[in-house]
Amino acid sequence: MNGAVEVTARCAHLLVESRGPWAGPGADRFLGDAAVLARLGHPVLVLLVGDAVTSAVAVPGSVSLTELSAAGADVVVDRFSLLQRGLGAAGLHPGTRPGGMDDVAASALHPDVKVVWH
Amino acid sequence: MARTIPPTDALVILMGAPHADDLVTNALRLVQAMLDAGGSVAVWTCGYATLLTGRGSKPRNLAEWSREYPSTSELVLGMLETHPGRLFWYVCRFCSDDRGVTEHLSQVVARPPAGYEANVAAAAKSLLVGVI
Repeated sequence: MNGAVEVTARCAHLLVESRGPWAGPGADRFLGDAAVLARLGHPVLVLLVGDAVTSAVAVPGSVSLTELSAAGADVVVDRFSLLQRGLGAAGLHPGTRPGGMDDVAASALHPDVKVVWH
Repeated sequence: MARTIPPTDALVILMGAPHADDLVTNALRLVQAMLDAGGSVAVWTCGYATLLTGRGSKPRNLAEWSREYPSTSELVLGMLETHPGRLFWYVCRFCSDDRGVTEHLSQVVARPPAGYEANVAAAAKSLLVGVI
């Protein structure tokens, strides 16, 4: 296991969003569900990957991301997807942090973590 | 005799078409990260994702004739050879046959749709990625 185990293994839910905000309401609702889980006290780790990374740089920023960070969820924005789209880590939503698959692999493997990819 | 499915930490059911977007790329990145983290992973492909491991050569780039680009099957083969006993690859035989891919890498196991349940049972958790 890598060094991310201590941080991520406590997360009871790993939720991966891969769709952009323009793909329909599903992406925002998925993040909204993550916020509900976090507010209920469930440890939540969210990975924004693919087109979903654009929701973390949009101005003024996703309402769901604001709710997510306020609820205490850990939101990782895939650095590889950012670079693929010519975006950098600068200007990311303050409730998020840049990262990669290594940051979520331990949670994906942990037997007590539920993983959903949308 | 029924096939014995090796137990794994995770089963990734990959259904997205590899040519549609970067879904497959990102799913394979997660698989690689799980392997790097010491986990064991099985991949089950359905739909157009079954084409990932089909035998055959990749067309050469007319704009750069001498350069070789790895095919997806070469990529998967490299992952399988690097992680023996920790990475397993299955294809849905119906989806594969339906799309004209009858030959896969020798390390890849074609399974009937009815065998899906046994693969799910052999994994500690399942992760469904993409839609057919």
